[in-house]
Amino acid sequence: MRIIDLALKDLSQVFRDKRSLLFLVAMPIAFTFFMGFAYKSGSDNDASKDTRIPLGWVNNDGNGYVSTQLFEMLSNSDSVRLVELTSDTVDESIRTGEVAGALIVPTGYNKQVSAGNEAPLTLVTDTNSTNGQSLYQILRTSVTKLMSAVEITHLSAETIGKPNDASELNEAFASASQAWSQADSASLVKVEMVVESAPAENWYGDNPYNQASPGILVQFAIMGLVSSGQILVQERKTRTLQRLMSTTMRSWEIVAGHMLAMFGIVFTQIALLVVFGQLALGVNYMNAPLGTLLVSVALSLWIAAMGLLIGTVVKDDSQVILFALMAMFIFSALGGTWFPLEVASGTFAAIGKVMPSAWAMTGYQNILMRGLGLESAWMPTGILLAYAFVFFALAIWRFNKMDV
Amino acid sequence: MSYAIEVKNLKKSFGNLQAVQDASFTADAGEVLSLLGPNGAGKSTTISMLSGLLAPTGGDASIMGHSVVSEPESAKKSLGVVPQDIALYPDLSARENLIFWGKMYGLRGATLKQRVDEVLEIIGLVDRQKDHVDKFSGGMKRRVNIGAALLHKPDVIIMDEPTVGIDPQSRRHILDNVKALNRQGMTVLYTTHYMEEAAELSDHIAIMDKGRIIAYGTHDELIKLVGRETRIDITINAEGGRVLEAWRSTEGVARIDALDGTLTALVDDSNRVLPRLFDAASKVGVRITSVDIQEPNLETVFLHLTGRALRD
Ligand SMILES: Nc1ncnc2c1ncn2[C@@H]1O[C@H](COP(=O)(O)OP(=O)(O)O)[C@@H](O)[C@H]1O
Ligand SMILES: [Mg+2]
Repeated sequence: MRIIDLALKDLSQVFRDKRSLLFLVAMPIAFTFFMGFAYKSGSDNDASKDTRIPLGWVNNDGNGYVSTQLFEMLSNSDSVRLVELTSDTVDESIRTGEVAGALIVPTGYNKQVSAGNEAPLTLVTDTNSTNGQSLYQILRTSVTKLMSAVEITHLSAETIGKPNDASELNEAFASASQAWSQADSASLVKVEMVVESAPAENWYGDNPYNQASPGILVQFAIMGLVSSGQILVQERKTRTLQRLMSTTMRSWEIVAGHMLAMFGIVFTQIALLVVFGQLALGVNYMNAPLGTLLVSVALSLWIAAMGLLIGTVVKDDSQVILFALMAMFIFSALGGTWFPLEVASGTFAAIGKVMPSAWAMTGYQNILMRGLGLESAWMPTGILLAYAFVFFALAIWRFNKMDV
Repeated sequence: MSYAIEVKNLKKSFGNLQAVQDASFTADAGEVLSLLGPNGAGKSTTISMLSGLLAPTGGDASIMGHSVVSEPESAKKSLGVVPQDIALYPDLSARENLIFWGKMYGLRGATLKQRVDEVLEIIGLVDRQKDHVDKFSGGMKRRVNIGAALLHKPDVIIMDEPTVGIDPQSRRHILDNVKALNRQGMTVLYTTHYMEEAAELSDHIAIMDKGRIIAYGTHDELIKLVGRETRIDITINAEGGRVLEAWRSTEGVARIDALDGTLTALVDDSNRVLPRLFDAASKVGVRITSVDIQEPNLETVFLHLTGRALRD
């Protein structure tokens, strides 16, 4: 109870200071917009060269008529760009992001189709990626059109040589439309395998805020420590910590009270930014609400523990700002909040991947970009909690060594 | 019987510096005990150990029979501490500060509200309770600082130099508060380097210097350490020679010397001796132009014990 009273006191001090609101809410929202625009315009320029989704083409059936038709059709498409591959390079190409998926024409395909039998093509892709899903849709439409054409050709061939009357045309028409509607498009293209793909050319998926929103959220949650870290410094400077310790409050209760306040501040800030991202920017945090909640709670705990540590290490307000900024830069830059680690170079990405901030980003992006569910949040949450524990233990250790 | 405060061979070193060395003293329930000593004597260090902020290097102390080393929780429950430095939240109002500190001492609801009102009354800040502490004068801050230690009605209150650097009016208010609290039965440990405060407030005084308790007793007991003679400094309108002879033979005068144009007499009782000195002066036609009576005081005692002045 007294822990809560202490936390409430901290909160009232933070929110009484109008500058806190600037740090905690106004700046992150402004920056989210800014970063979102930056990504969008940046990628627009790059993409003006080629926005088509790269699709691997593996032909195991020689130069049959139907497959050649399909190749022509897809080559002229505005949506996909064909890259010729062989069966054994498919997985690798998808993993490296060279292609978003690969279409495999099976052996005997032309023969089967010409005989009027159903013969599915195989699409290998990461069904969880936006590009993978787009490919599937594009191919279903293309292949359906092609099959209908084949069907019409069949029917036409059968009716050639018959009296050229109205019934003939009607019949062909009827058959074609029937074929069109009956064609079980789903069975024409089979998605066979899920390979986790590298990010597509638009690494943020279809919404630039998918990167900007969680990135800024993590960054400013750390930045927000400027406000809450100062509370601890003030507490020492005003000798109120000394007085607190002369009451019956135990030292762990004092630490816990401050930690609770920081957690409250960080979590509130994150919640506001999540709601803002969801409602105003269409960033789909609610794709896995529980997952978002888990990652957010664990992230808040880690940041709160780090704030506590900063509060016990620094000597005055200006050092709080310095340390909070340093933490923000280190954890933001290396943790992939500004751009995904996947597009970074090797060592940079390797260092970054062990950062708690990177795990927070992974947690959010599993939900936002990879469209994964609650299960995908467990690992990032667990790692963030472990980091929170380590930072908390360090903070307690520093607190007990502190001169009061 | 057990004491309200009992300090036994308490020690504290900071590296090589022995800030408190083997300090021992006691305070009975309901008394005011002053810890008198110059800056750096070790008063605050002693108090930090009594209030559980510093672990002693050796020895022990108890508050209402509870050891601060082995049962700090129980000891703290009976204790209110007024730290030497103002320990308040400057961005909260006086009332908000008191409410917060009351909660930290476990008070809630109606009891809390009632105690806060009572304490505001005691410290005389009912009118200014809504103002932020950082807008207060030094004296007002000191009063809130005291108030925050009174909320839970502790049996023992420890005040560490509560009157340093404030206006005479606030000082008067605080000294009167101490007396009033003591009348209500609170045991007070009061540290100061002002001997007048120790003299005015205390039932017992412990004099501390360089980490040690160098004297302990009632005010009168301590004064007796330097003898009972009162010093009288007299100036006259003539040469000293004539009257000096007459005064030397006056009953009750232990000794008299001429120092820089002032005659300094040590007498056993100034009330009895002074009229005789005036008579003797009249007989030889000398006029006394000023008399300065200096009763022996704690300053003299400190000087006597250490060879140094209490205030530097
Ligand atoms: N935390 C500390 N570390 C090192 N020395 C200290 C510390 N606190 C007090 N001292 C030293 O201990 C001595 C006693 O200080 P203190 O108890 O504050 O004296 P007082 O309150 O009587 O003025 C001083 O010499 C002071 O410098
Ligand atoms: Mg002191």
